[in-house]
Amino acid sequence: MATDPIHQFQISKWIPIEIGGLDFSFTNASAFMVATVAGAGAFLFLTTSSRGLVPGRLQSISEMAYEFIASMLRDAAGSHGMRFFPFVFSLFMFVLVANLLGMFPYFFTVTSHVIVTFALAILVIGTVLVYGFWKHGLGFLKLFVPDGVPGVLMPLVVAIEVVSFLSRPVSLSVRLFANMLAGHITLKVFAGFVTSLGAFGVAGAAGAVLPLAMTVALTGLEFLVAFLQAYVFAVLTCMYLNDALHPGH
Amino acid sequence: MEVEAAKAIGAGIACLGMGGAGIGLGHIFGNYLAGALRNPSAADGQFGRLIFGFAVTEALGIFSLLVALLLLFT
Amino acid sequence: MANRGKPGDLDGRRRDLEAALAARRRERPSGGEGAERGGKSDFANALKLSSEFIAGVVVGVALGWFIDRMAGTSPWGLIIFLLLGFGAGILNVLRSAGLIAEFGSKAPKKGDDDL
Repeated sequence: MATDPIHQFQISKWIPIEIGGLDFSFTNASAFMVATVAGAGAFLFLTTSSRGLVPGRLQSISEMAYEFIASMLRDAAGSHGMRFFPFVFSLFMFVLVANLLGMFPYFFTVTSHVIVTFALAILVIGTVLVYGFWKHGLGFLKLFVPDGVPGVLMPLVVAIEVVSFLSRPVSLSVRLFANMLAGHITLKVFAGFVTSLGAFGVAGAAGAVLPLAMTVALTGLEFLVAFLQAYVFAVLTCMYLNDALHPGH
Repeated sequence: MEVEAAKAIGAGIACLGMGGAGIGLGHIFGNYLAGALRNPSAADGQFGRLIFGFAVTEALGIFSLLVALLLLFT
Repeated sequence: MANRGKPGDLDGRRRDLEAALAARRRERPSGGEGAERGGKSDFANALKLSSEFIAGVVVGVALGWFIDRMAGTSPWGLIIFLLLGFGAGILNVLRSAGLIAEFGSKAPKKGDDDL
C-alpha cells in the first residue's frame, strides 16, 4: 500500500528485455537514470547556450557549479588534476541531479540503491588504479608503504594500508546509499503518521499537525543532505584522484 | 536447544559488549569536549591522546563484535 | 572526448585559460565563498567520519571471511582481518580528520594502529 515506507524503492520492469538468460530489462531505475543524465545535460546546455557576458540567473547557476568543482579539484589534486575535471564534474552532476530528482514525490531515487552507488565508487577507484599504474608503473605501490616505519612493523602497516585502501569504495558507496535510503524512509514514515492520525477524526487531525511540520522540516534537511552527499562524493573523488596523480608524498 | 539457535542467542549476548564500548566512547569524547571548552588552547595538543583512547576502547568493542561474528560465521 | 588524441594541444589551451583566469581572479575579492564552505564542510565531515571507520571494519570482515572460504583457514582469517580492518578504520578516521597526511607520507601517529 501507499503507507509502506519501502514501497518507493521497488524496481519494476517497464520494458522486459532478456538477452542470453541475462536480464537487461528497462526498469524504472534505468528510466530515472536516463532522466537524470538528460536533465543535467539539458540544464547545462540550455543555460550556457546564450553565453551572456553578464550571466543570467540560470547561467550563473551553471557557472557556479563549474567554479565549485574546478576550485575543489584544483585545491585537492593540483593543476595536473584538471584533466579529470570532466569526470569529476559528471559524477557530481549525476549524483546531485539524481538526489534532487528523488526529492519529487512519487519519483524513484536512483542513488538509494547500493548497486548504483557502488558502481559509481568502483568507477572512481578503477580510474585511480588504472591511471596510477599507467602513469607511475609499479611505483604506484609506494602508496602503501609509508616512510619512517621500522622494518619489523612494515608488513603490518602495509596490510593495514591495503585494507584501508580497499575500504574506500565501500565507504564511498555505502555513505551515499545509506543517507539517501534512511532519509527517504524517515520522510515516508512521518508522512504516513499524518494519514494514519488523520483517520481518527478531529482530534487526530489536530494531532497530525505535528508530524506534518516534522515532514516539512525533514524535507528541508533532505535537500541539504542531497547536496552535501554529492559534495562529499566529489571531494573524496578529488582526494583519491590526487593519490593516483601523486603517490608517495 | 538447537545449536544454531544457541549460537544466534550467544551472538546477540556478545553484542552487549559493544554497548559498553559505546558508553566508554561517550565518556572519552564527552570529557575531551568538556576539557577542550575549558581550555581551548590545549585541546589540539591532546587530540592524539583522544584518538589513542578511542582506539583502545573501541578495540574492546571490536573484540565482542569478533566473538559475535565467530559464533555466526564459523 | 573526440580530440582526446592530442593532449598537448589541450594542455596548452588549458594553461592559457588558467593564466587568464588567475590574472582575472586576483582582482575579485573572494570573501563570502570561503566562509560559506567552512560551515558546510563541518557537517560534511561529520557525515564522512562515521562511515569511514565502519567501512574499514566491514571490509576487514568481508576479506577475512572470503579468505576463510577460499583457503579453509577458519576462523583465523576472520580474526586477523577484523583486527586489520579495525586498524584501517582508525587510519581512515585519522586521515580524514587531517591528523595524518595522505597515503604514503610520513605518519607521526602510526604507533596507535598496532595495539
